[in-house]
Amino acid sequence: MDELLEILNDIDDSIDYENEKALIDDHLLDSFGIITLVSEIEERFDVEIDAAEMTPENFNSVEALWAMIQRLREN
Amino acid sequence: MAIYTNLYLLVFLPLVLILYQIIPQKHRWKILLCASYIMYFTFSKKLVLLLIGTAVFTHYISIWMEWIDIRSKQEQAEASDRKQKTEIKKGYQARKKGVLALGVLVLLGILFYVQYYNFFAENINKLAAHFSAAALPILDIAFPMGISFYTLEAIGYLADVYWNRIPAEKHLGKLALFLSFFPQIMEGPIARYSDTADQLYEGKPLNMGDLNAGFERILWGLFKKMIVSDRLATLTGELFNNYKDYHGVMIAVAAVTYTIQLYMEFSGSIDIVIGSGRLFGVKLPENFNQPFSAQSAAEFWRRWHMSLGTWFKNYLFYPVTVSAPVKKWNRYARKRYGKYVSMLGASAMALFPVWIATGLWHGAEWKYIFYGLYYFVILFIGVALEPFKEKRNQVLHIDPNAPWFKALRILKTWLIIFTGELFFNARGLKAGFIMFRNLFVDFHISDLWNGSFPETSLHTADYLAIAGGCIVVWIVGFLREHKVDLREKILSSRLPLKWAAYYALILAILIFGAYGAGYQAVDLIYAGF
Repeated sequence: MDELLEILNDIDDSIDYENEKALIDDHLLDSFGIITLVSEIEERFDVEIDAAEMTPENFNSVEALWAMIQRLREN
Repeated sequence: MAIYTNLYLLVFLPLVLILYQIIPQKHRWKILLCASYIMYFTFSKKLVLLLIGTAVFTHYISIWMEWIDIRSKQEQAEASDRKQKTEIKKGYQARKKGVLALGVLVLLGILFYVQYYNFFAENINKLAAHFSAAALPILDIAFPMGISFYTLEAIGYLADVYWNRIPAEKHLGKLALFLSFFPQIMEGPIARYSDTADQLYEGKPLNMGDLNAGFERILWGLFKKMIVSDRLATLTGELFNNYKDYHGVMIAVAAVTYTIQLYMEFSGSIDIVIGSGRLFGVKLPENFNQPFSAQSAAEFWRRWHMSLGTWFKNYLFYPVTVSAPVKKWNRYARKRYGKYVSMLGASAMALFPVWIATGLWHGAEWKYIFYGLYYFVILFIGVALEPFKEKRNQVLHIDPNAPWFKALRILKTWLIIFTGELFFNARGLKAGFIMFRNLFVDFHISDLWNGSFPETSLHTADYLAIAGGCIVVWIVGFLREHKVDLREKILSSRLPLKWAAYYALILAILIFGAYGAGYQAVDLIYAGF
């Protein structure tokens, strides 16, 4: 989880990721932040994110992102 | 029967509302479906068959994909080991992908044929003439109204079924209603199945809350369209049609007034659409969110024609972002050139198809392709400069939240928008460039009052009505931007105040609305796309 927070802070450190629940819905993470995020997550956690995972529900909060990473690791 | 006509507002809509209410709840969606097809038939005649065909085709493609999933699960359950299970899953997944590809290609193929075939044929013929090659025939193709909207809805629905985000709709009629709901069919908004389908099928009884909200929204839309947009159309028509006669400040006037006209027309029509849906208790997605408060071109597109932007983001931008070529590029470029270059390349690869598609979606003309590329370049520059913005602010001691800085950013965004709309509405790409060049020729602000202003049927009173309408719309938008929703406030106010507001709107539309021979009866601009 700390590693994920590190990635997110690298993208934009002005966001309070631990309490934010609407990263996508409130446009806090823009499209380019998402491009970077996807590629960083794939690189560091050795998972494959495909188009089906690209939903706001998976990207709205750090917990949701973490849950998606865990799920993809198990597959 | 367009949605701003008396026939629609005073006859069709009330009649559908009455029929809807007197029919048992579980059959109400059928009334909506019949109304939708009748409405579509009034402006597209036999092309309604294409809409029916699209619904049938989309329905069976989605059922096919779901059937593949069921078969896959059944066979996986019977598999002896994990390896075999994976093999079975992979095999069926590939089949499902093939079915999705078939669905998307056929739907896009039809759209391409009716919308773009002649454009490509003409351009290929120009090229072929140089080589004395055989020419492609130019065909007389009838344009089915709304095809750009319902095709995107159908593709979005198929993609969501493919990704297992939604189950396939088992009832053909219900899917047909989702694809053809009558207020939406001409100008959108482009809905996602998961946003509106259940509301359409529910048959919720009419109630005063929804009726008031819908009625108020329709009035608001008519206000924007009839007081401002229909009047401005007279002026912009003159400036754009006779563009060679104008230069300098008049070109700026053309760009600004057309932008205002388009916003008032499109957002006003969407207000009528959303209001019509709301009468039946259906909340359609919003399409505008004070776009002129945007501080960048990227933000503008999150506030303008939002349903189109959301569609492209979900069904083009994200899939391209996680596609094999982009991932491959990221792995390659990151090691060689570092994060910044790899991100720039990935952004370009994901942005380019989105903006070419956005341009082409508006129509088969070079000016629309240019319009898409224009925003691609601006957004890409924005991405490329992003890491340097913080440094600039530090060096120049700029507080990014300072009002003057925000105002400057808004002003810069306006210039980008106005320039874009100048090309968007020009009579061809060449005319767009001529107008843009002439903008810098003999630019005298005094042309506004020294008699150079074009003579049209508009009088001083008309310009006052336009200005008044704009001020009212601006105040409502300004308050919304500061979290004060005047529409909601009026809805929840006491009866006398509520009706005073409604009467004020009705009277404003009746007294100040543009009627009669002196004005252009303006068609819905986006219905042509």
